[in-house]
Amino acid sequence: MIIFGIETSCDETSAAVVKINRNHFFVLSNVVSSQIKIHQPYGGVVPELAARNHIKNILPVINQALIEAKIKPNQVDKIAVTVGPGLITSLLIGVQTAKILAYTWQKPIAGINHMVAHIYANWLNNKLIKFPAIALIVSGGHTELVLIKNKNNFKKVGQTLDDAAGEAFDKVAQLLNVGYPGGPIISRLAERGDINAFNFPRPMIEKDNFNFSFSGLKTAVLYTIKDLPKKLSDKQLADLSASFQQAVVETLVAKTIKAAEHFKAKTVILAGGVAANKLLREQLGKKVKGLKRDFLMPDFSFCTDNAAMIAAAGYFTKNTPWQKLRVDPNLEIK
Amino acid sequence: MKYLTDSENQTIQLGKKIATKLKGGEVIGLVGNLGAGKTTLIKGIAKGLGIKKPITSPTFVLMKVYPTKGKIKKLIHIDCYRVKSAKEIEAIGATEYFGQKDTVIVIEWAEKIKSILSRQKIEINIKLIDKDEREIIIKKYG
Repeated sequence: MIIFGIETSCDETSAAVVKINRNHFFVLSNVVSSQIKIHQPYGGVVPELAARNHIKNILPVINQALIEAKIKPNQVDKIAVTVGPGLITSLLIGVQTAKILAYTWQKPIAGINHMVAHIYANWLNNKLIKFPAIALIVSGGHTELVLIKNKNNFKKVGQTLDDAAGEAFDKVAQLLNVGYPGGPIISRLAERGDINAFNFPRPMIEKDNFNFSFSGLKTAVLYTIKDLPKKLSDKQLADLSASFQQAVVETLVAKTIKAAEHFKAKTVILAGGVAANKLLREQLGKKVKGLKRDFLMPDFSFCTDNAAMIAAAGYFTKNTPWQKLRVDPNLEIK
Repeated sequence: MKYLTDSENQTIQLGKKIATKLKGGEVIGLVGNLGAGKTTLIKGIAKGLGIKKPITSPTFVLMKVYPTKGKIKKLIHIDCYRVKSAKEIEAIGATEYFGQKDTVIVIEWAEKIKSILSRQKIEINIKLIDKDEREIIIKKYG
């Protein structure tokens, strides 16, 4: 089966061709056109600007995905497109384009939940996944723990009650005045810093649930900076970054491990854009292996937004008549 | 009206109290710095409107819509933290909700989109006095 995936939920325009043969996934192409440079001066994604660039990029990206995969539209068995969550103006462009393709190519189409697709990105490795599994999905807009009972059964068991982890990185980067996107910048600064230089809170770490809260941590950084000289030294920037990152990572790891033990998970999965964070990958991986459970995460290129994971999710998702396909910017895993 | 709260819980209680006075159709602008407690106050308002789902930050998507039960059918939570011009808020369709009788709109960083807030009826200023204490001033127009 050949699935054509399309992803435009935020600021990456992506199209991919994934072939599935006896439950093995082969990514024939995965073209991603990133707009990060366009949004950098604004300190975040500007929806209207993102939409205009999706319009500009989507057809060339689709064309490129077909060329790289060396397939023709008539070889495609199914189209999969992100319907949410995301920015409505961005989602609409991918969905409308996918509908037109479904109509003109005469192919079935499935609407994909972007968060679910981040989990299915792990299927692209073709590793055996033992259930139940716990997935930590961390990105700019989400921080969630999902219980996976089997390949079609997902249940959200915890989430952030305020800011997402990626958002906390962005906001702290702004407080430190070091640029956007915050995640990679803070991580880089943190490499030379002392994780114990500042004692930031580990929010909700002791609470008996699987929820997160990062808004207070951001505020704690704010208070700390207020007591420091206006012009921070390189050492202070590095120490603040390292201490902050450590607080975020420790909280994410502790809650994920707590969920894994509670639900007797055999596998722990890390997914979403923040899964690219090296410290998180290392610390979570170490803890999970210590518990003798499997630790899985997608290849680097399938962590950030991409259409290959959408196509993978398409394999497990029922078709919808194109007439009924709708975007839902607030779509959730129930 | 001026209120002082000295804990997160008190700010939430004040939000709940504000919710009991809402009739629908209100556009509430919240003004205050990062970490002042805007989202906390909105959590209280949402609780007061009977919303059980967690109110998470809309910074990333700019707008979140929460269905409510009762006379007020929807709470719209808008965050202009990243917004440079009011056009961006119009572009995501937020203004379609403005003035709808069954909808309450709360806007964080409302001062950034003043030009489209002619229907704003309530402005809430939150100021951090110190670590826990907050001064919350509620002004009504029209």
